[in-house]
Amino acid sequence: MAKHNNLAHDIWLYLHFPLLPLETLLPQLPREQPPKPIAIIDQQKNTQRVLCCNNQASAWGIEPNLSISTALALCPELVVAPRQIELEQQRLQQLALLCYRFSPVLTVHSNCGLWLEISGCYKLFKGYNSLLQQLHNRLQEQMVTAVNGIGSNPLAAQLVCQAEFQIQLPSTRQIEQRLFSTALSKLNTNARQQQSFKQLGLQTMGDLLALPRSALSRRFDRELILYIAQLNNDKPCNAPRFQPANSFRDLIQNPQGIFNKESLLFPMKTLLQNLCHYLMARQCHCREIEWQFEPLIGEPAQMRIQLSGSQNNWSSLLTLSRLQLERLELPRSIEQIILFSDQFVEAPQGMGNLDLFGDNSCQQQSSELIDSLNARLGMEALSQPVLNQDYLPEQASTLVTPGKQINTALDNRLKAPQPVWLLSEPAPVQIRNQQLYWHQPLSILSGPERLCGNWWQSEQQRDYYLACDSRGARYWLFRETSSQCWFVHGLFS
Amino acid sequence: MANTEIISNLLTRQDTWRGRSRHLPRRTIYTGHQSLDLLLQGGWPVAALTELLPQQLGIGELSLLLPVIKKHGSQLCLWLDPPYQPYAPALSAAGIALDKLLVVRSKNPREWLWAAEQSIRSGALLLAWARPQAPSYADLRKLQLAAADSSSAAFLFSPVKALGAPSPVALRLELESSEVNQMLLTVRKMRGVASGAQLQLSLGESCTQRTNLAQLPADRHHGYINNPVLRLKS
Repeated sequence: MAKHNNLAHDIWLYLHFPLLPLETLLPQLPREQPPKPIAIIDQQKNTQRVLCCNNQASAWGIEPNLSISTALALCPELVVAPRQIELEQQRLQQLALLCYRFSPVLTVHSNCGLWLEISGCYKLFKGYNSLLQQLHNRLQEQMVTAVNGIGSNPLAAQLVCQAEFQIQLPSTRQIEQRLFSTALSKLNTNARQQQSFKQLGLQTMGDLLALPRSALSRRFDRELILYIAQLNNDKPCNAPRFQPANSFRDLIQNPQGIFNKESLLFPMKTLLQNLCHYLMARQCHCREIEWQFEPLIGEPAQMRIQLSGSQNNWSSLLTLSRLQLERLELPRSIEQIILFSDQFVEAPQGMGNLDLFGDNSCQQQSSELIDSLNARLGMEALSQPVLNQDYLPEQASTLVTPGKQINTALDNRLKAPQPVWLLSEPAPVQIRNQQLYWHQPLSILSGPERLCGNWWQSEQQRDYYLACDSRGARYWLFRETSSQCWFVHGLFS
Repeated sequence: MANTEIISNLLTRQDTWRGRSRHLPRRTIYTGHQSLDLLLQGGWPVAALTELLPQQLGIGELSLLLPVIKKHGSQLCLWLDPPYQPYAPALSAAGIALDKLLVVRSKNPREWLWAAEQSIRSGALLLAWARPQAPSYADLRKLQLAAADSSSAAFLFSPVKALGAPSPVALRLELESSEVNQMLLTVRKMRGVASGAQLQLSLGESCTQRTNLAQLPADRHHGYINNPVLRLKS
């Protein structure tokens, strides 16, 4: 057989999740001890049939494709739940994201399956068996039942899918043998085709592939010919590759309701861990996350966490969320928690901790401090002084929220010393016995320096003086030229 | 045998004070004033809380710390509950990076304590001003312990009436001034030094001349009183 060299070395892994419809719904169903038999049903041509069921139900003799009436007749206490395709697809996307960490060549099969090409990941995982083992562990952590098949192309892998998860990579010979010994009845074709296989006396894939190609094309339709060509690696399979979505949205439902903030933390942690898997897959950091806590009836509570830097670490995101949660008014019972984020930046190059001079980690420490202060005290509690192009002191120096600062290089216009403290509003000064008086008598040391600002808006002309009191404290005073009133505007400190 | 072991163990501890030994294992940062460095045996203590008690605001208490803030460089400097708004042009003229300066306002003593502790633990330089209801001994001890674990300096400004109460801080300095640009520092508490040591620090030229309101303008150039900011640079 003529094979493309590059294709011949591919190793395709087909992951199938046979119980996915059940496992998606399991967290929403009431948990009982001992576990009840559960079956997921699906509408198929006017009748509702069992799609999959748990072990307890199998013990009663329930199996896929039974009609719902038969199933209930077999086991009267069977819990029946309808399939929810939307949730199932969402879960499948999550699993795809998880597998994306194992191989970048990944395709999602709508029928509860994933294809992975793993020949490029040999070095990273130090062997295929260790890759398979790690993948198996990860999937078990996710509480999903997975089985797999391994072949030299996606179709072959799907065809030889086993009833269990194999952790050992079979040899090339074994892979071929398995493909050849697969019964033709497993092939996804119509009844007419199956009939003609029977008439020809063909039982396994081996029998079919042994026939010369010209004989095949005369007997079967083009679809099957293409399928066989792809199975033989003569033609490539063109399936769209998996790409992580542009924004992250995940939710956890809890029909029983969550009544206090402490019990919110566990589902929040799960969601943040999912977010971090997503961020890792996309190799980016997030700048903002949004929480939404929805009650069954009433208005949802929302909370937005803005980061001064960027993050991809779930534990620090959880700490920030927890700090901000303390200030949030929540509905009495929470049914659904949603996490959303679409503000991403590319992950900084290199590892922060490997920085020779530690400058980076210091930067990170400051932004972590800002974030946690922000979360606990609120945005309005933090500010940074900033220089502006203006002559009036109260406009030349303003406070802005951190991170909004524009660094302007200004010439120091005033030659006179300037105070470190500025009063938020100039305080009027009294005159007693020909002396200025603000809390105590003040005397002028030097001045004036005239400042006028915004002459086109208002008549503001001020003469600034330096003054002191009897105990050595120095003040910044001004006299308004129009009204001749004195004010204190700052303190030297 | 056992006794000598205990003693040698005690001697290796950081916090054992060994009489008049001049080699106190302390880390310090230079204050920018030679005479003050001498008084404080090297400078402001690092990994400790320093309490400054000015007789009144405006006598130059903040200028004392400007060299430290400037030297702190790339790390954040947090000002917790300052009495007034910091004036950016003066700070920028003193060579302080404004984007490293963070002003935090607390709403209650609990928030004040939490923010102060967070700041110390994250290695930022903390300048805190005590709230009107003075922090309790336990609160200050908490901050002092946090500072001892960290590697940065922390400063607390308290009103002078706080001198009546005991304080767990490592260094307590009373600041007063009788004359413009002249500051009298009195050590009220310091490890390894008897309290009461005093230092007269000149922050600039003193000036005795006052001008009457009737005689304005005071025809003197502003440069006459040395800018404390400029002096620090030299």
